[in-house]
Amino acid sequence: MSAPAATESAVAAHHEPSKFHFYIQIAMILAVITGVEVVLVYLPLAKGLVVGTLVTLSAVKFLFVIFYFMHLRWDKVFCTILFFIGLILAGFTMFALLHLFGAEASKPLSATAIQTSAAFASLA
Amino acid sequence: MSSHAATGHIDHHHDHTTSTGIPNKKLLWWAFLASDCMFFGALISTHLVYRLNPPPGNAIPTQVFNIELTSFSTFILLMSSLLMALAVNAIQKGNVKSTRLMLLGTMFFGCIFLGGQVFEFGHFVHEKHMTLSNSIFGSTFYTLTGTHGTHVAIGVLLLGMMYVRTFKAADGSGFFKNFVHLAAICVVMGVSFIYVVPGLIEVIYGTELMTFVHHAATPLILGAIAAVALVILGRDHGPLEFGEKNAIDVETIGLYWHFVDIVWIIIFTAVYLLEYL
Amino acid sequence: MAEALAKSSFTGTGHAPAKTFDLFPRPTAKTGLVGWLTTVDHKKIGMMYGGFAILFFLIGGLEALMIRTQLLVPNNHFISAQLYNELFTMHGTTMIFLAVMPLNAAFFNLLIPIQIGARDVAFPRLNTFSLWVWVVGAILLNVGWLSHFVPSWKFGGAPDVGWFGYAPLTSKVFTPDLSTDLWVFGIQILGVSSIVASLNFIVTIINMRAPGLTMMRLPVFTWMALVTSFLLILALPAIAIALIEVMFDRNFGTNFFEVSGGGQPILWQHLFWVFGHPEVYILILPPMGYVSEILPTFSRKPLFGYPIIVFSGVAIGFIGFGVWSHHMFTTGMGTIATAAFSIATMAIAVPTGVKIFNWIGTLWGGRIVTRTPMMFALGFIWMFMMGGMSGIMHAAAPADAQQQDSYFVIAHFHYVLIGGATFALLAAIHFWFPKFFGRLVPEFWGKLSFWIIFVGFNCTFFPMHFLGLNGMPRRTWTYDSNMGWNEGNFFASCGAYLLGIGIFTYFAVLIYTFFKGEKCGNDPWDGRTLEWSIPSPPPEHNFASIPTVHARDAFWYEKHHKDEIAREKAEHIQAEESHGGIHMPDQSWYPLFSAIGLLIGAYNFAQLHHPVIFGGKEVLSTHLPLAIAGGCVLLLSCYLWALEGPAGYHLHLDADGNPTDSHGGHY
Repeated sequence: MSAPAATESAVAAHHEPSKFHFYIQIAMILAVITGVEVVLVYLPLAKGLVVGTLVTLSAVKFLFVIFYFMHLRWDKVFCTILFFIGLILAGFTMFALLHLFGAEASKPLSATAIQTSAAFASLA
Repeated sequence: MSSHAATGHIDHHHDHTTSTGIPNKKLLWWAFLASDCMFFGALISTHLVYRLNPPPGNAIPTQVFNIELTSFSTFILLMSSLLMALAVNAIQKGNVKSTRLMLLGTMFFGCIFLGGQVFEFGHFVHEKHMTLSNSIFGSTFYTLTGTHGTHVAIGVLLLGMMYVRTFKAADGSGFFKNFVHLAAICVVMGVSFIYVVPGLIEVIYGTELMTFVHHAATPLILGAIAAVALVILGRDHGPLEFGEKNAIDVETIGLYWHFVDIVWIIIFTAVYLLEYL
Repeated sequence: MAEALAKSSFTGTGHAPAKTFDLFPRPTAKTGLVGWLTTVDHKKIGMMYGGFAILFFLIGGLEALMIRTQLLVPNNHFISAQLYNELFTMHGTTMIFLAVMPLNAAFFNLLIPIQIGARDVAFPRLNTFSLWVWVVGAILLNVGWLSHFVPSWKFGGAPDVGWFGYAPLTSKVFTPDLSTDLWVFGIQILGVSSIVASLNFIVTIINMRAPGLTMMRLPVFTWMALVTSFLLILALPAIAIALIEVMFDRNFGTNFFEVSGGGQPILWQHLFWVFGHPEVYILILPPMGYVSEILPTFSRKPLFGYPIIVFSGVAIGFIGFGVWSHHMFTTGMGTIATAAFSIATMAIAVPTGVKIFNWIGTLWGGRIVTRTPMMFALGFIWMFMMGGMSGIMHAAAPADAQQQDSYFVIAHFHYVLIGGATFALLAAIHFWFPKFFGRLVPEFWGKLSFWIIFVGFNCTFFPMHFLGLNGMPRRTWTYDSNMGWNEGNFFASCGAYLLGIGIFTYFAVLIYTFFKGEKCGNDPWDGRTLEWSIPSPPPEHNFASIPTVHARDAFWYEKHHKDEIAREKAEHIQAEESHGGIHMPDQSWYPLFSAIGLLIGAYNFAQLHHPVIFGGKEVLSTHLPLAIAGGCVLLLSCYLWALEGPAGYHLHLDADGNPTDSHGGHY
């Protein structure tokens, strides 16, 4: 609903230096991070540390792509909010499901489950 | 936006016909992506839940995976994202030729990724004997990565449609040419990810090149014909009805493509890398 | 600002004239079959949703009456146990997916654009697509009934696995026939319809508001529609995945819910209820919206506590994603999980209670006008509160251990769904009927139908609280005469017949009113929101001029500032004329064709491993080629849809506001 004057200045600001080289740089960073991730799993480090680093590096790549390639950095903040609603909800649901299934009460009766019929037969 | 077109200034960051300034298509697509987050979230959750307490007789991922190939595929997909961003950048500057090149590039890299998956799936089924039904890992792995792959394939199709759109003539001619052009794109892309890329990967892993050419003779010929058709059809015959004003459409497809990439970033870590710990 | 108005909305094609790619000319009929099949007008789409929904509401009611007749006396043999299973499955599925949800969709379509001062939704053809895809889903779910009439059509009857389709009952081992496959695809396709429609409404509400209409000036109904749309796009993916997993288990031998292959059936329950719980808020939030419009109108004062009502609606939606396992308290999740979900469930009562207090605050000190919509709205507050009380009782997990799968649950959800959602819907139908049909429903008959429904409803479901606490389980075909349940069931069944008579009366009166009701003007209730400012029924372009909104309850402000508004309207009309007139979207065949492709594809894909029999002979060994053919129709239609573009035409209004259009001027 802005008056033409406001859009003129926005237009003027838009004709900035091309983002071409900037995108190439981002892509190089993403490639390097991917390489680091692959090497990392083979390093003899503590498991927790490796998992934490992998998750962090993935998150960094993720954020680079959404904020720069997908332009969220320069778009109206509502787009970011909209996407993060879905992202956070998905993350929360995944977290809850993993904890639900990881609970002691939810562990399947593992190997013996396959031979359930034998077990029940002995009860009968 | 008619006054904008007349003066040549299009603000790609602000649409003043809407209450928020965000173009309708962009808002729709971001909302859809929020929904798709939940979609993949549920699928990834299913996979991870079944990794918590693997039953006996389950496939063992580290014995099945080929992490070099998958890493390469990840790199390819990331590069395709770069090309997509460059395509959007090009059209926002009104450079149609560059846009077309970048769109083609994105599609090709997408096909390399898909071809890698086709090879991977075939390899897992035939050499590692892991199928959809003979283990829970197989069920969740193929469904998750297959769904992602389907998203990539749909993305390639959408990009193909966008590519063909860049040739629309201002006089409205060439309606049926669209279908031929799109068909040619589909044949080229299809042949490359179903036959060429997996075949070449096989060659890299030791198969004889001529064996591959023999097996894939018919598709290769069809693909070559379609490629020639693309070159012929890929020429402009007069003024175009496509330019900077259509940037929003390229940007929207770009959003979808980048999303498919970030889902893969998560899948690569959660499904592949974490298994090696 | 006037410029922005003129360049408004859905098509946004302000560029230089270009030839569109049309295989054949776009349809222009405004009446007749073609007019309705190809319409992109949100009002027509809303009416079709409403018409279908009411039809299925009555079918669902018949299904319920058959259930209650079977349970009228102990050891009854009115229907077979198999048919009973189909009936309770389809009663639930029909009422939720084919009655309440499309009725809400009808109101979204009818009201949202005119409440926000727009001429249509953001993507009109996508809106039509949602409607026809919904019809496809409805067909797939109900086609199984044909097996009862034509035994050679082996659908296996209607779906019979419960509306929630628990694994492993849905596996090929336990339910080998087609009924479950069709159920899976039916629900999946309904999901597609809802997601697409919700995306459309989100963009419409956020991006197409009239000038001056800030978010905190939106009518509460529109706010609730926005929250509901968000719930839909975020919750449906979970069931989409669950359905894909069941479909894969049944068709491709995967092990998602197959224990012998390492699967866990409980995963289905989790994924289903991750969708299923937000679903119940999807069902109830729009009714809360209707009530929030009706109460202020008939209390002659503004809604009490607007910001907190809006915020509570958002809170309910948000917290609603965190309580799903309260449907699974008896599945042995462990103490921590059970406790966590129990607390979250209790927490959700807080914003709900806040809303109820605010509604009461709206009534307090008002000049109450007890017209029929108000009676239903008042009934809503009381009945929904009772449903909420039994809900809170469920939230206590130890108590739920006895209540789970008993008639107490049935009592609870019917109080919130009939006493809550349905009462509000019946109120809304009466309230907005004059707007869309230009006729008033007779007060006497309206109030009579209300009282019969109210008494019948309570007679049916109040006894069920006691039946449940006395141990009667759900989904049982019959019961023995020495369980102590005889009187309760008999009374409930009689109540059901009375409820049926009430519903019949209600709709019979509506049909009468449609043909012979007393005509009315644009504002029969002295309303507060923008829809009452336009003629009844509204013209296709909705507003002669897009209004500027100055306050909450925009129309109320207009009525009290007539000169200012008159001047603004004249300015806006001029501005829009100077930009070529009122821009309207073109009709299209492709949404319908795409839906037909989807129908062919899904119907055949559900029968993937079954041979195609034609004229008694096997023609194909699998339905796959036909499914692919359907997919091709879908893809081709979508591509042609993209090629034809939004296009559009212009309307010009003369001095009396009568439109003349510029058809043939595809610009």
